[in-house]
Amino acid sequence: MNCEESKELLVAYFEGLLEDSEQQAVEEHLKDCSSCQAELKELTALHDRLVTNGKALAQSNLEKDVMNQLIREQNVRLKAAARATDALKIRRTIMKSPITRIAAVAAVIIVAALGINYIMAPSVTWAQVIQPILNAKTVVFDLILGTDDSGMVQHEIVVGSRMRRTMSNMPNMTMIIDTDNAKLLALDTEAKTAVYADITGDLGDRHRSYIKFVRQIIGQLQGGQVEQLGEQVIDGQKAVLFVGKGQNEEVRIWADPETAHPIRIEAKIGQEFSFAMKNFEFDAAVDESLMSMDVPAGYTLQKTNIDLGNTTEEDFVKSLRIWAEIIGDGTFPESIGTQSAMAQMPVLIQKVTAMQVSEDKGTEIGMSFAKGMLFHQTLENQGAWNYAGAGVKLGDAGKAIFWYQPQGSQTWRVISGDLSVKDVAAENLPK
Amino acid sequence: MSENDKFYVERCLDGHPDDYRYLVRRYQGVLLANLAGKLGSRDRAEEAAQEALVRAYFNIGKLKKPDSFFSWLLGIADNVAKEHQRKDQLQRQREIVRSFTEESSGTELSQDYALESAIAELPEAYRKVILLRYYGGHNCNQIAEQLDMPLGTVTKTLSRAYAMLRESLQQQKQAEVYEV
Repeated sequence: MNCEESKELLVAYFEGLLEDSEQQAVEEHLKDCSSCQAELKELTALHDRLVTNGKALAQSNLEKDVMNQLIREQNVRLKAAARATDALKIRRTIMKSPITRIAAVAAVIIVAALGINYIMAPSVTWAQVIQPILNAKTVVFDLILGTDDSGMVQHEIVVGSRMRRTMSNMPNMTMIIDTDNAKLLALDTEAKTAVYADITGDLGDRHRSYIKFVRQIIGQLQGGQVEQLGEQVIDGQKAVLFVGKGQNEEVRIWADPETAHPIRIEAKIGQEFSFAMKNFEFDAAVDESLMSMDVPAGYTLQKTNIDLGNTTEEDFVKSLRIWAEIIGDGTFPESIGTQSAMAQMPVLIQKVTAMQVSEDKGTEIGMSFAKGMLFHQTLENQGAWNYAGAGVKLGDAGKAIFWYQPQGSQTWRVISGDLSVKDVAAENLPK
Repeated sequence: MSENDKFYVERCLDGHPDDYRYLVRRYQGVLLANLAGKLGSRDRAEEAAQEALVRAYFNIGKLKKPDSFFSWLLGIADNVAKEHQRKDQLQRQREIVRSFTEESSGTELSQDYALESAIAELPEAYRKVILLRYYGGHNCNQIAEQLDMPLGTVTKTLSRAYAMLRESLQQQKQAEVYEV
């Protein structure tokens, strides 16, 4: 080994990275070569000096200081965020982001599509349950909110506690929801943006997938409440129709007369909310990657939190403001409620995007809209409400747009066009 | 070296800010070494390192590849150092005006400022390897993994970095001799 070769290997030598034969060769060379010995000595001296300096710098309070500062700043930021939420005022700020859009949508869709805020009184199990609806591990179907010709179609894949959902009126949006862990991944395939959200609030009994909801209705209808209405033709197929009626809900199931395979299921709750499901596939093989909660490569990720905690009248009033101020350009819509809200989502997104609000603001608008919808769903369950806001201008104090009777209350709450709320006795309600 | 950077970055993103401390622990020495040479004192380096680490935390969502946390953090630290240098420069100009009559109090230099400033002058590729090896507690294999390069390249880079450091330290020494 010559000096040049030896010097090249010196670093690896004192780092102990050489193979035995190389190490021996370097050692042999070092014995006789004073120049390489000097080089090694210099290197070792520098190495030691670096090690000493490294040790000196490793002793510091930096970890404690940094963590303390993080906590302080985090708190300041949280307080600022809380202040911003206190008053829902829609301001124009100079910021534009595709994330605004997707976060706002995510908040609404999570409520609309996952949550049916509805609890039924437990009752005896229906004897003639349709096996696949209740027991299939995976269910693929199309869901229609509203009517077949005008409603939006939502394609849904349910595997255990995971759901994947795409929507006909927002073709670039995909949602994957994990109901067990209360997580949502929303993907905007066009803007390559992802929102990963924690869903907080009561997800337990009240919010479930449509298929679980149908399962619950079927499971809780009493045998006597189910009628077989004979053969019909539905969606171009011969079918047997079963109708089950509960106190406040009705479910119609059309099934193949030979195989009992469900062809179409329609459910109606309260006075306005209805949906239909068709194109069922039970226990179909589903590609696991479709249900993955991992953010795909190349997506910008935004984290957020979707709070589905207690919704209040205040939330509902905020959502009415969004209906009028943002969606209706100052006028209240023809109808409100989950179906209408879902149908108007693309409009809301478009307007929120055009307003160029910040990400946080966009999410906040979406959340308020969603929470208002959730509040309205609770009313569907309790029955007593009326909407009369069609065409009323925002700010019109002389017109009542919505009234409802809170559970256990003698009086009604009446919301006017200026979004003020009053307690009113039943006999004084608007006609 | 329990978990890799990616693991802790993702923990932070998943809402466990407390796990950021492991990244702080891992890179505090690296940052101090990197900054001490640029800013000239231990105190200034600590201040800037803290700022860089906090800034990194609140921007961690913008980190595209969680496994490149180190390089990204170093970039942030370099920016913070530049900002501080600019501030220092202004202050020094003011002080020079004032200090005609009195000795500037000055700040205490780091224990081995000569070495730190020599490191600060290294081109980035060499600086990274030295920082990780001596201030980040990495061995050569870990550096290879962290920087995604073959082990042979790590030792060659180290070797070249040593040569540059020696040369730079030598020059500093000579400069001192001339000054005296």
